[in-house]
Amino acid sequence: MMGPGLSYDDTPPFSAPIRFFLTAPLFGVAAGLTLIFGGEILVSRWTPGALAITHLFAAGFMLQVMLGALLQVMPVVAGASMPAPLRIAGITHLAMALGAAGLAFGLGAGAPGVLLGGAVLLVGGLFVFLSAAALGLSRGARTGNNTRTPRDLRMAFAGLVVTAVLGFSLVLVLTRGVALPVPLPTVVNLHAGWGWMGWAAVLLAAASWVVVPMFQITAAYPQRFTTLWAPAVTATLVLWTLAEYLAIDAARFIAILALGLLGAGYAGTTLYLQAHSRRSKPDTPFLAFREAMYSALAGVLVLAISLWSDADCWPILAGVLILHGGFGGTITAMLYKIVPFLAWLHLTQAGLKAPNMKKLLPDTPIRRQLRVRTTSLATLCVAVFVPVLAPLAGVVLAVEFGWLFANLLRVVRARRDAAKNAGPRPGSHASA
Amino acid sequence: MNTISELMTHDHRDCDGIFARAEELASDGDWADAAEALKKFADALNAHFDAEESTLFPAFEQATGMTQGPTMVMRHEHQNMRDTLAALQYALDKQDADDFAGEAETLLIMMQQHNMKEESVIYPMLDSRLPGDEQERLSASVGKHLGEARAA
Repeated sequence: MMGPGLSYDDTPPFSAPIRFFLTAPLFGVAAGLTLIFGGEILVSRWTPGALAITHLFAAGFMLQVMLGALLQVMPVVAGASMPAPLRIAGITHLAMALGAAGLAFGLGAGAPGVLLGGAVLLVGGLFVFLSAAALGLSRGARTGNNTRTPRDLRMAFAGLVVTAVLGFSLVLVLTRGVALPVPLPTVVNLHAGWGWMGWAAVLLAAASWVVVPMFQITAAYPQRFTTLWAPAVTATLVLWTLAEYLAIDAARFIAILALGLLGAGYAGTTLYLQAHSRRSKPDTPFLAFREAMYSALAGVLVLAISLWSDADCWPILAGVLILHGGFGGTITAMLYKIVPFLAWLHLTQAGLKAPNMKKLLPDTPIRRQLRVRTTSLATLCVAVFVPVLAPLAGVVLAVEFGWLFANLLRVVRARRDAAKNAGPRPGSHASA
Repeated sequence: MNTISELMTHDHRDCDGIFARAEELASDGDWADAAEALKKFADALNAHFDAEESTLFPAFEQATGMTQGPTMVMRHEHQNMRDTLAALQYALDKQDADDFAGEAETLLIMMQQHNMKEESVIYPMLDSRLPGDEQERLSASVGKHLGEARAA
Protein backbone atom coordinates (compact mmCIF):
# COMPACT_ATOMS: atom_id res chain seq x y z
CA MET A 1 0.00 0.00 0.00
CA MET A 2 1.25 3.46 -0.88
CA GLY A 3 1.27 6.14 1.78
CA PRO A 4 -1.30 8.83 1.26
CA GLY A 5 -0.17 11.62 -1.00
CA LEU A 6 3.55 10.92 -1.10
CA SER A 7 3.80 8.70 -4.10
CA TYR A 8 5.04 10.10 -7.39
CA ASP A 9 1.81 8.73 -8.83
CA ASP A 10 0.07 11.38 -6.73
CA THR A 11 1.89 14.19 -8.52
CA PRO A 12 -0.57 15.32 -11.17
CA PRO A 13 0.73 15.36 -14.77
CA PHE A 14 2.48 18.63 -15.76
CA SER A 15 -0.37 19.64 -18.05
CA ALA A 16 -2.98 19.47 -15.25
CA PRO A 17 -1.89 22.54 -13.24
CA ILE A 18 -0.03 24.27 -16.08
CA ARG A 19 -3.18 24.82 -18.17
CA PHE A 20 -4.64 26.87 -15.30
CA PHE A 21 -1.40 28.84 -14.88
CA LEU A 22 -1.14 29.67 -18.58
CA THR A 23 -4.71 30.85 -19.11
CA ALA A 24 -4.76 32.88 -15.87
CA PRO A 25 -2.64 35.83 -17.14
CA LEU A 26 -4.83 36.09 -20.25
CA PHE A 27 -7.65 37.28 -17.98
CA GLY A 28 -5.32 40.03 -16.77
CA VAL A 29 -4.69 41.02 -20.40
CA ALA A 30 -8.46 41.09 -20.96
CA ALA A 31 -8.83 43.34 -17.89
CA GLY A 32 -6.23 45.70 -19.38
CA LEU A 33 -8.06 45.77 -22.74
CA THR A 34 -11.34 46.50 -20.96
CA LEU A 35 -9.70 49.50 -19.29
CA ILE A 36 -8.27 50.73 -22.59
CA PHE A 37 -11.55 50.58 -24.50
CA GLY A 38 -14.08 50.89 -21.69
CA GLY A 39 -13.80 54.64 -21.08
CA GLU A 40 -13.87 56.09 -17.59
CA ILE A 41 -14.79 52.91 -15.79
CA LEU A 42 -12.76 53.59 -12.65
CA VAL A 43 -15.04 56.41 -11.48
CA SER A 44 -17.18 54.05 -9.39
CA ARG A 45 -17.18 50.40 -8.33
CA TRP A 46 -20.67 50.06 -9.86
CA THR A 47 -19.81 50.81 -13.50
CA PRO A 48 -20.31 47.75 -15.75
CA GLY A 49 -16.65 48.00 -16.76
CA ALA A 50 -15.43 47.98 -13.15
CA LEU A 51 -17.59 44.93 -12.41
CA ALA A 52 -16.21 43.20 -15.51
CA ILE A 53 -12.59 43.95 -14.57
CA THR A 54 -13.10 42.80 -10.98
CA HIS A 55 -14.46 39.47 -12.19
CA LEU A 56 -11.82 39.03 -14.89
CA PHE A 57 -9.32 39.43 -12.10
CA ALA A 58 -10.98 37.46 -9.28
CA ALA A 59 -12.94 34.73 -11.09
CA GLY A 60 -10.44 34.63 -13.97
CA PHE A 61 -6.84 35.26 -12.92
CA MET A 62 -6.99 34.53 -9.19
CA LEU A 63 -9.32 31.55 -9.30
CA GLN A 64 -7.46 29.88 -12.18
CA VAL A 65 -4.09 30.11 -10.43
CA MET A 66 -5.43 29.04 -7.08
CA LEU A 67 -7.13 25.95 -8.52
CA GLY A 68 -4.03 24.97 -10.49
CA ALA A 69 -1.89 25.42 -7.39
CA LEU A 70 -4.31 23.39 -5.26
CA LEU A 71 -4.10 20.48 -7.69
CA GLN A 72 -0.35 20.55 -7.23
CA VAL A 73 0.08 21.23 -3.53
CA MET A 74 -2.66 19.10 -2.02
CA PRO A 75 -0.51 15.94 -2.13
CA VAL A 76 2.49 17.76 -0.65
CA VAL A 77 0.86 19.92 1.99
CA ALA A 78 -2.25 18.02 2.99
CA GLY A 79 -1.21 14.47 2.09
CA ALA A 80 -4.29 14.42 -0.13
CA SER A 81 -4.47 13.76 -3.83
CA MET A 82 -7.24 14.65 -6.21
CA PRO A 83 -8.86 11.63 -7.87
CA ALA A 84 -8.32 11.54 -11.69
CA PRO A 85 -6.44 14.87 -11.72
CA LEU A 86 -6.07 15.10 -15.49
CA ARG A 87 -9.76 14.55 -16.18
CA ILE A 88 -10.88 16.88 -13.38
CA ALA A 89 -8.41 19.53 -14.57
CA GLY A 90 -9.61 19.19 -18.16
CA ILE A 91 -13.31 19.54 -17.38
CA THR A 92 -13.08 22.23 -14.73
CA HIS A 93 -10.47 24.31 -16.52
CA LEU A 94 -12.55 24.63 -19.67
CA ALA A 95 -15.82 25.23 -17.83
CA MET A 96 -14.36 27.80 -15.46
CA ALA A 97 -12.30 29.69 -18.05
CA LEU A 98 -15.36 30.03 -20.30
CA GLY A 99 -17.53 30.74 -17.26
CA ALA A 100 -15.30 33.56 -15.98
CA ALA A 101 -15.10 35.08 -19.47
CA GLY A 102 -18.89 34.86 -19.88
CA LEU A 103 -19.52 36.30 -16.44
CA ALA A 104 -17.22 39.27 -17.08
CA PHE A 105 -18.59 39.88 -20.58
CA GLY A 106 -22.17 39.61 -19.34
CA LEU A 107 -21.51 42.15 -16.57
CA GLY A 108 -19.53 44.54 -18.77
CA ALA A 109 -21.76 44.47 -21.84
CA GLY A 110 -25.06 44.04 -19.99
CA ALA A 111 -25.87 40.74 -21.71
CA PRO A 112 -28.08 38.72 -19.32
CA GLY A 113 -27.97 35.48 -21.32
CA VAL A 114 -24.16 35.42 -21.42
CA LEU A 115 -24.01 36.42 -17.75
CA LEU A 116 -26.25 33.55 -16.69
CA GLY A 117 -24.48 31.06 -18.96
CA GLY A 118 -21.10 32.15 -17.59
CA ALA A 119 -22.27 31.88 -14.00
CA VAL A 120 -23.68 28.37 -14.58
CA LEU A 121 -20.41 27.19 -16.16
CA LEU A 122 -18.34 28.78 -13.38
CA VAL A 123 -20.43 27.34 -10.55
CA GLY A 124 -20.71 23.96 -12.27
CA GLY A 125 -16.94 23.74 -12.80
CA LEU A 126 -16.37 24.81 -9.23
CA PHE A 127 -18.77 22.16 -7.96
CA VAL A 128 -16.88 19.41 -9.79
CA PHE A 129 -13.49 20.72 -8.62
CA LEU A 130 -14.48 21.16 -4.99
CA SER A 131 -16.17 17.76 -4.83
CA ALA A 132 -12.99 16.13 -6.09
CA ALA A 133 -10.86 18.20 -3.69
CA ALA A 134 -13.15 17.34 -0.76
CA LEU A 135 -12.87 13.67 -1.62
CA GLY A 136 -9.08 13.98 -1.72
CA LEU A 137 -8.93 15.90 1.54
CA SER A 138 -11.19 13.42 3.32
CA ARG A 139 -8.77 10.66 2.32
CA GLY A 140 -5.77 12.71 3.38
CA ALA A 141 -7.23 13.59 6.75
CA ARG A 142 -5.85 10.45 8.37
CA THR A 143 -2.22 11.48 8.10
CA GLY A 144 -1.86 14.15 10.76
CA ASN A 145 -0.01 17.36 10.07
CA ASN A 146 1.82 19.78 12.26
CA THR A 147 0.59 22.93 10.47
CA ARG A 148 -2.86 24.46 10.27
CA THR A 149 -2.74 24.35 6.49
CA PRO A 150 -5.11 21.42 5.76
CA ARG A 151 -7.76 22.81 8.12
CA ASP A 152 -7.46 26.29 6.61
CA LEU A 153 -7.65 24.87 3.08
CA ARG A 154 -11.04 23.40 4.01
CA MET A 155 -12.14 26.75 5.41
CA ALA A 156 -11.10 28.48 2.20
CA PHE A 157 -13.20 25.98 0.23
CA ALA A 158 -16.16 26.82 2.46
CA GLY A 159 -15.54 30.55 1.90
CA LEU A 160 -15.42 29.98 -1.85
CA VAL A 161 -18.73 28.10 -1.73
CA VAL A 162 -20.42 30.98 0.17
CA THR A 163 -18.94 33.47 -2.33
CA ALA A 164 -20.26 31.41 -5.25
CA VAL A 165 -23.73 31.02 -3.73
CA LEU A 166 -23.99 34.78 -3.08
CA GLY A 167 -22.64 35.54 -6.55
CA PHE A 168 -25.01 33.13 -8.24
CA SER A 169 -27.99 34.59 -6.39
CA LEU A 170 -26.92 38.05 -7.60
CA VAL A 171 -26.82 36.75 -11.16
CA LEU A 172 -30.36 35.39 -10.70
CA VAL A 173 -31.47 38.83 -9.46
CA LEU A 174 -29.96 40.51 -12.51
CA THR A 175 -31.08 38.01 -15.12
CA ARG A 176 -34.26 36.46 -13.73
CA GLY A 177 -35.60 39.22 -11.49
CA VAL A 178 -35.43 36.99 -8.41
CA ALA A 179 -36.14 38.97 -5.20
CA LEU A 180 -33.66 38.92 -2.29
CA PRO A 181 -34.52 39.40 1.41
CA VAL A 182 -31.81 42.11 1.73
CA PRO A 183 -30.89 45.09 -0.49
CA LEU A 184 -28.78 44.26 -3.55
CA PRO A 185 -25.73 46.42 -2.58
CA THR A 186 -25.61 44.57 0.76
CA VAL A 187 -25.46 41.21 -0.99
CA VAL A 188 -22.76 42.57 -3.32
CA ASN A 189 -20.71 43.66 -0.29
CA LEU A 190 -21.14 40.26 1.36
CA HIS A 191 -20.20 38.50 -1.89
CA ALA A 192 -17.03 40.63 -2.12
CA GLY A 193 -16.22 40.23 1.59
CA TRP A 194 -16.57 36.44 1.54
CA GLY A 195 -14.56 36.32 -1.68
CA TRP A 196 -11.71 38.52 -0.46
CA MET A 197 -11.42 37.26 3.09
CA GLY A 198 -13.31 33.96 3.41
CA TRP A 199 -11.86 32.46 0.27
CA ALA A 200 -8.83 34.33 -1.11
CA ALA A 201 -7.21 35.60 2.09
CA VAL A 202 -7.76 32.34 4.01
CA LEU A 203 -6.34 30.37 1.09
CA LEU A 204 -3.36 32.71 0.80
CA ALA A 205 -2.78 32.48 4.56
CA ALA A 206 -3.08 28.67 4.49
CA ALA A 207 -0.36 28.64 1.84
CA SER A 208 1.73 31.23 3.68
CA TRP A 209 1.88 29.23 6.93
CA VAL A 210 3.98 26.74 4.97
CA VAL A 211 5.47 28.65 2.06
CA VAL A 212 6.85 31.75 3.81
CA PRO A 213 8.90 29.99 6.55
CA MET A 214 10.13 27.27 4.22
CA PHE A 215 11.00 29.09 1.02
CA GLN A 216 11.99 32.43 2.45
CA ILE A 217 13.75 30.76 5.41
CA THR A 218 12.02 32.74 8.16
CA ALA A 219 10.87 31.75 11.64
CA ALA A 220 7.48 30.01 11.78
CA TYR A 221 4.31 32.12 12.20
CA PRO A 222 3.40 32.19 15.93
CA GLN A 223 1.39 29.06 16.65
CA ARG A 224 -1.46 30.86 18.39
CA PHE A 225 -1.74 33.20 15.41
CA THR A 226 -2.09 30.41 12.84
CA THR A 227 -4.45 28.49 15.13
CA LEU A 228 -6.82 31.44 15.51
CA TRP A 229 -6.50 33.47 12.33
CA ALA A 230 -8.65 31.59 9.79
CA PRO A 231 -11.40 30.64 12.31
CA ALA A 232 -11.49 34.28 13.45
CA VAL A 233 -11.90 35.47 9.85
CA THR A 234 -14.66 32.96 9.15
CA ALA A 235 -16.47 33.70 12.44
CA THR A 236 -16.28 37.45 11.80
CA LEU A 237 -17.69 36.94 8.30
CA VAL A 238 -20.60 34.98 9.77
CA LEU A 239 -21.26 37.73 12.36
CA TRP A 240 -21.03 40.40 9.67
CA THR A 241 -23.49 38.50 7.47
CA LEU A 242 -25.92 38.26 10.40
CA ALA A 243 -25.46 41.96 11.20
CA GLU A 244 -26.26 42.87 7.59
CA TYR A 245 -29.30 40.57 7.52
CA LEU A 246 -30.63 41.97 10.79
CA ALA A 247 -29.55 45.51 9.79
CA ILE A 248 -27.61 46.16 13.03
CA ASP A 249 -25.38 49.06 11.99
CA ALA A 250 -22.97 49.05 14.93
CA ALA A 251 -22.27 45.31 14.62
CA ARG A 252 -21.83 45.69 10.89
CA PHE A 253 -19.30 48.46 11.39
CA ILE A 254 -17.33 46.54 14.02
CA ALA A 255 -17.28 43.35 11.92
CA ILE A 256 -15.90 45.16 8.86
CA LEU A 257 -13.28 46.87 10.99
CA ALA A 258 -12.35 43.53 12.57
CA LEU A 259 -11.94 41.95 9.12
CA GLY A 260 -9.66 44.81 8.12
CA LEU A 261 -7.59 44.36 11.26
CA LEU A 262 -7.33 40.60 10.67
CA GLY A 263 -6.14 41.25 7.12
CA ALA A 264 -3.63 43.80 8.37
CA GLY A 265 -2.52 41.36 11.09
CA TYR A 266 -1.71 38.73 8.50
CA ALA A 267 0.15 41.19 6.24
CA GLY A 268 2.00 42.76 9.19
CA THR A 269 3.09 39.41 10.65
CA THR A 270 4.27 38.24 7.24
CA LEU A 271 6.29 41.44 6.75
CA TYR A 272 7.83 41.03 10.20
CA LEU A 273 8.87 37.43 9.48
CA GLN A 274 10.24 38.37 6.07
CA ALA A 275 12.26 41.21 7.58
CA HIS A 276 14.01 38.57 9.73
CA SER A 277 14.58 36.06 6.93
CA ARG A 278 17.80 34.10 7.14
CA ARG A 279 18.16 34.57 3.39
CA SER A 280 19.81 37.94 3.65
CA LYS A 281 19.67 38.62 -0.09
CA PRO A 282 16.03 38.37 -1.02
CA ASP A 283 15.35 37.32 -4.62
CA THR A 284 12.99 39.19 -6.91
CA PRO A 285 9.81 37.18 -6.26
CA PHE A 286 10.45 37.56 -2.52
CA LEU A 287 10.56 41.36 -2.97
CA ALA A 288 7.33 41.18 -4.99
CA PHE A 289 5.71 39.26 -2.13
CA ARG A 290 6.77 41.99 0.30
CA GLU A 291 5.47 44.71 -2.00
CA ALA A 292 2.16 42.84 -2.11
CA MET A 293 1.95 42.83 1.69
CA TYR A 294 2.55 46.61 1.83
CA SER A 295 -0.09 47.12 -0.83
CA ALA A 296 -2.58 44.98 1.13
CA LEU A 297 -1.88 47.05 4.26
CA ALA A 298 -2.48 50.26 2.31
CA GLY A 299 -5.67 48.70 0.92
CA VAL A 300 -6.97 47.98 4.43
CA LEU A 301 -6.27 51.58 5.42
CA VAL A 302 -8.18 52.89 2.40
CA LEU A 303 -11.03 50.49 3.16
CA ALA A 304 -11.20 51.98 6.66
CA ILE A 305 -11.38 55.48 5.14
CA SER A 306 -14.27 54.31 2.93
CA LEU A 307 -16.27 53.48 6.09
CA TRP A 308 -16.28 57.19 6.97
CA SER A 309 -16.32 58.78 3.53
CA ASP A 310 -18.93 58.24 0.84
CA ALA A 311 -16.61 59.30 -2.00
CA ASP A 312 -16.63 56.76 -4.87
CA CYS A 313 -12.85 56.73 -5.18
CA TRP A 314 -12.08 54.91 -1.90
CA PRO A 315 -13.68 51.52 -2.57
CA ILE A 316 -12.11 51.50 -6.06
CA LEU A 317 -8.68 52.38 -4.68
CA ALA A 318 -9.03 49.71 -1.98
CA GLY A 319 -9.98 47.21 -4.69
CA VAL A 320 -6.91 48.11 -6.76
CA LEU A 321 -4.56 47.87 -3.76
CA ILE A 322 -5.97 44.61 -2.40
CA LEU A 323 -6.84 42.74 -5.61
CA HIS A 324 -4.10 43.85 -7.97
CA GLY A 325 -1.47 44.86 -5.43
CA GLY A 326 -2.04 42.28 -2.68
CA PHE A 327 -3.45 39.11 -4.23
CA GLY A 328 -2.02 39.80 -7.71
CA GLY A 329 1.46 40.38 -6.26
CA THR A 330 1.59 37.27 -4.07
CA ILE A 331 0.15 35.11 -6.84
CA THR A 332 2.69 36.39 -9.37
CA ALA A 333 5.53 35.79 -6.89
CA MET A 334 4.34 32.24 -6.22
CA LEU A 335 3.90 31.47 -9.94
CA TYR A 336 7.56 32.35 -10.49
CA LYS A 337 8.51 29.70 -7.94
CA ILE A 338 5.94 27.04 -8.75
CA VAL A 339 6.11 26.88 -12.55
CA PRO A 340 9.90 26.48 -13.01
CA PHE A 341 9.96 23.97 -10.16
CA LEU A 342 7.18 21.90 -11.74
CA ALA A 343 9.06 21.86 -15.03
CA TRP A 344 12.20 20.76 -13.20
CA LEU A 345 10.33 18.14 -11.16
CA HIS A 346 8.64 16.53 -14.15
CA LEU A 347 11.90 16.37 -16.12
CA THR A 348 13.68 14.83 -13.13
CA GLN A 349 10.89 12.34 -12.52
CA ALA A 350 11.10 11.29 -16.16
CA GLY A 351 14.73 10.38 -15.46
CA LEU A 352 16.08 13.28 -17.57
CA LYS A 353 18.79 15.75 -16.65
CA ALA A 354 16.87 18.93 -15.90
CA PRO A 355 18.41 22.40 -16.29
CA ASN A 356 18.45 24.26 -12.97
CA MET A 357 15.56 26.59 -12.13
CA LYS A 358 17.34 29.75 -13.19
CA LYS A 359 18.10 28.22 -16.58
CA LEU A 360 14.43 27.35 -17.00
CA LEU A 361 13.51 30.95 -16.12
CA PRO A 362 16.34 33.47 -15.60
CA ASP A 363 16.10 36.38 -13.17
CA THR A 364 16.20 39.16 -15.76
CA PRO A 365 12.80 38.60 -17.43
CA ILE A 366 11.25 38.12 -13.97
CA ARG A 367 12.75 41.38 -12.73
CA ARG A 368 11.60 43.30 -15.81
CA GLN A 369 8.06 41.96 -15.62
CA LEU A 370 7.84 42.79 -11.92
CA ARG A 371 9.00 46.33 -12.64
CA VAL A 372 6.10 46.69 -15.08
CA ARG A 373 3.86 45.25 -12.38
CA THR A 374 4.88 47.99 -9.92
CA THR A 375 4.32 50.63 -12.62
CA SER A 376 0.95 49.10 -13.38
CA LEU A 377 -0.13 49.27 -9.72
CA ALA A 378 1.00 52.89 -9.45
CA THR A 379 -0.74 53.90 -12.69
CA LEU A 380 -3.96 52.20 -11.62
CA CYS A 381 -3.87 54.08 -8.29
CA VAL A 382 -3.37 57.42 -10.04
CA ALA A 383 -6.09 56.61 -12.60
CA VAL A 384 -8.60 56.22 -9.75
CA PHE A 385 -8.20 59.98 -9.13
CA VAL A 386 -7.47 61.02 -12.74
CA PRO A 387 -10.01 58.98 -14.73
CA VAL A 388 -8.64 60.15 -18.07
CA LEU A 389 -5.55 58.02 -17.33
CA ALA A 390 -7.59 54.78 -17.23
CA PRO A 391 -6.66 53.75 -20.81
CA LEU A 392 -2.97 54.28 -20.00
CA ALA A 393 -3.36 52.11 -16.88
CA GLY A 394 -5.06 49.56 -19.14
CA VAL A 395 -2.06 49.48 -21.48
CA VAL A 396 0.38 48.93 -18.61
CA LEU A 397 -1.90 46.27 -17.09
CA ALA A 398 -2.16 44.41 -20.40
CA VAL A 399 1.64 44.56 -20.83
CA GLU A 400 2.14 43.32 -17.26
CA PHE A 401 -0.02 40.24 -17.74
CA GLY A 402 1.09 39.63 -21.32
CA TRP A 403 4.67 39.57 -20.05
CA LEU A 404 3.77 37.22 -17.22
CA PHE A 405 2.19 34.90 -19.80
CA ALA A 406 5.33 35.11 -21.97
CA ASN A 407 7.59 34.31 -19.00
CA LEU A 408 5.52 31.26 -18.04
CA LEU A 409 5.38 30.10 -21.66
CA ARG A 410 9.17 30.38 -21.72
CA VAL A 411 9.38 27.79 -18.94
CA VAL A 412 7.04 25.42 -20.78
CA ARG A 413 9.20 25.76 -23.90
CA ALA A 414 12.43 25.30 -21.93
CA ARG A 415 10.99 22.12 -20.45
CA ARG A 416 10.01 20.83 -23.87
CA ASP A 417 13.45 21.61 -25.33
CA ALA A 418 15.17 20.02 -22.34
CA ALA A 419 13.04 16.89 -22.72
CA LYS A 420 14.02 16.71 -26.39
CA ASN A 421 17.73 17.33 -25.93
CA ALA A 422 18.61 16.07 -22.48
CA GLY A 423 20.21 12.76 -21.79
CA PRO A 424 19.29 10.68 -18.77
CA ARG A 425 20.08 12.18 -15.39
CA PRO A 426 23.35 10.72 -14.09
CA GLY A 427 22.68 7.97 -11.61
CA SER A 428 18.95 8.22 -12.24
CA HIS A 429 16.82 5.26 -11.39
CA ALA A 430 13.49 6.86 -12.10
CA SER A 431 11.14 4.91 -14.24
CA ALA A 432 8.22 7.35 -14.40
CA MET B 1 12.28 14.56 25.65
CA ASN B 2 11.77 15.68 22.08
CA THR B 3 9.45 13.80 19.77
CA ILE B 4 10.93 12.52 16.52
CA SER B 5 8.94 15.26 14.75
CA GLU B 6 10.45 18.00 16.89
CA LEU B 7 13.98 16.66 16.62
CA MET B 8 13.95 16.19 12.84
CA THR B 9 11.99 19.37 12.06
CA HIS B 10 14.50 21.32 14.11
CA ASP B 11 17.31 19.71 12.15
CA HIS B 12 15.61 20.71 8.87
CA ARG B 13 15.64 24.36 10.03
CA ASP B 14 19.27 24.07 11.11
CA CYS B 15 20.21 22.79 7.66
CA ASP B 16 18.23 25.69 6.09
CA GLY B 17 20.24 28.18 8.12
CA ILE B 18 23.61 26.74 7.05
CA PHE B 19 22.37 26.61 3.45
CA ALA B 20 21.35 30.29 3.56
CA ARG B 21 24.82 31.17 4.83
CA ALA B 22 26.56 29.33 1.95
CA GLU B 23 24.23 30.96 -0.56
CA GLU B 24 24.92 34.42 0.83
CA LEU B 25 28.71 33.98 0.80
CA ALA B 26 28.65 32.71 -2.79
CA SER B 27 26.53 35.63 -3.95
CA ASP B 28 29.08 37.96 -2.30
CA GLY B 29 31.81 36.23 -4.30
CA ASP B 30 33.51 35.07 -1.10
CA TRP B 31 34.30 31.64 -2.56
CA ALA B 32 36.70 30.46 0.13
CA ASP B 33 34.20 30.94 2.94
CA ALA B 34 31.37 29.73 0.73
CA ALA B 35 33.28 26.49 0.18
CA GLU B 36 33.63 26.03 3.91
CA ALA B 37 29.94 26.78 4.52
CA LEU B 38 28.89 24.44 1.72
CA LYS B 39 30.98 21.66 3.22
CA LYS B 40 29.32 22.23 6.56
CA PHE B 41 25.94 22.13 4.85
CA ALA B 42 26.79 18.95 2.94
CA ASP B 43 27.91 17.27 6.18
CA ALA B 44 24.71 18.30 7.96
CA LEU B 45 22.52 17.20 5.04
CA ASN B 46 24.24 13.84 4.68
CA ALA B 47 24.06 13.19 8.43
CA HIS B 48 20.33 13.93 8.28
CA PHE B 49 19.82 11.62 5.29
CA ASP B 50 21.90 8.88 6.95
CA ALA B 51 19.87 9.08 10.17
CA GLU B 52 16.67 8.70 8.19
CA GLU B 53 17.83 6.01 5.80
CA SER B 54 19.57 3.83 8.35
CA THR B 55 17.35 4.35 11.41
CA LEU B 56 14.04 6.16 10.96
CA PHE B 57 12.86 4.80 7.61
CA PRO B 58 13.42 1.15 8.60
CA ALA B 59 11.48 1.87 11.81
CA PHE B 60 8.70 3.45 9.75
CA GLU B 61 8.64 0.48 7.38
CA GLN B 62 8.46 -1.97 10.26
CA ALA B 63 5.76 -0.05 12.12
CA THR B 64 3.50 0.54 9.11
CA GLY B 65 4.30 -2.45 6.91
CA MET B 66 4.83 -0.02 4.00
CA THR B 67 8.18 -0.89 2.47
CA GLN B 68 7.59 0.24 -1.10
CA GLY B 69 5.66 3.41 -0.32
CA PRO B 70 6.57 6.76 1.22
CA THR B 71 10.06 5.78 2.34
CA MET B 72 10.96 4.62 -1.15
CA VAL B 73 9.91 8.02 -2.50
CA MET B 74 11.85 9.79 0.24
CA ARG B 75 15.02 7.78 -0.50
CA HIS B 76 14.64 8.63 -4.17
CA GLU B 77 14.30 12.32 -3.36
CA HIS B 78 17.40 12.10 -1.17
CA GLN B 79 19.25 10.82 -4.23
CA ASN B 80 17.94 13.75 -6.32
CA MET B 81 19.14 16.18 -3.67
CA ARG B 82 22.56 14.51 -3.48
CA ASP B 83 22.81 14.94 -7.28
CA THR B 84 21.84 18.63 -7.05
CA LEU B 85 24.30 19.11 -4.19
CA ALA B 86 27.02 17.68 -6.45
CA ALA B 87 26.02 20.17 -9.18
CA LEU B 88 26.18 22.95 -6.59
CA GLN B 89 29.66 21.85 -5.54
CA TYR B 90 30.71 21.79 -9.21
CA ALA B 91 29.44 25.37 -9.70
CA LEU B 92 31.36 26.42 -6.60
CA ASP B 93 34.56 24.78 -7.86
CA LYS B 94 34.18 26.72 -11.14
CA GLN B 95 33.28 29.87 -9.13
CA ASP B 96 30.30 30.31 -11.46
CA ALA B 97 27.93 32.59 -9.53
CA ASP B 98 24.99 32.18 -11.95
CA ASP B 99 25.14 28.41 -11.96
CA PHE B 100 25.57 28.35 -8.21
CA ALA B 101 22.48 30.55 -7.72
CA GLY B 102 20.42 28.39 -10.10
CA GLU B 103 21.45 25.09 -8.51
CA ALA B 104 20.94 26.58 -5.02
CA GLU B 105 17.43 27.70 -5.94
CA THR B 106 16.64 24.23 -7.30
CA LEU B 107 18.03 22.51 -4.22
CA LEU B 108 16.17 24.84 -1.85
CA ILE B 109 12.78 24.12 -3.41
CA MET B 110 13.53 20.41 -3.75
CA MET B 111 14.55 20.34 -0.10
CA GLN B 112 11.55 22.30 1.15
CA GLN B 113 8.88 20.30 -0.63
CA HIS B 114 10.61 17.15 0.60
CA ASN B 115 10.67 18.52 4.16
CA MET B 116 6.97 19.36 3.92
CA LYS B 117 6.17 15.74 3.11
CA GLU B 118 8.34 14.39 5.91
CA GLU B 119 7.00 16.87 8.44
CA SER B 120 3.36 16.32 7.41
CA VAL B 121 3.34 12.58 6.96
CA ILE B 122 6.45 10.57 7.87
CA TYR B 123 7.39 12.08 11.25
CA PRO B 124 3.83 12.36 12.62
CA MET B 125 3.25 8.73 11.66
CA LEU B 126 6.45 7.72 13.46
CA ASP B 127 5.30 9.68 16.52
CA SER B 128 1.90 8.03 16.52
CA ARG B 129 2.73 4.47 15.46
CA LEU B 130 5.88 3.65 17.44
CA PRO B 131 5.67 2.57 21.09
CA GLY B 132 6.92 5.20 23.57
CA ASP B 133 10.12 3.42 24.58
CA GLU B 134 11.01 2.76 20.94
CA GLN B 135 10.51 6.46 20.15
CA GLU B 136 12.75 7.42 23.04
CA ARG B 137 15.48 5.03 21.93
CA LEU B 138 15.34 6.23 18.29
CA SER B 139 15.24 9.87 19.30
CA ALA B 140 18.29 9.48 21.51
CA SER B 141 20.28 7.57 18.90
CA VAL B 142 19.37 9.93 16.03
CA GLY B 143 19.98 13.00 18.20
CA LYS B 144 23.44 11.66 19.08
CA HIS B 145 24.25 10.91 15.44
CA LEU B 146 23.21 14.41 14.30
CA GLY B 147 25.08 16.04 17.20
CA GLU B 148 28.29 14.15 16.36
CA ALA B 149 28.05 15.18 12.71
CA ARG B 150 27.75 18.85 13.74
CA ALA B 151 30.69 18.59 16.13
CA ALA B 152 32.94 16.93 13.53
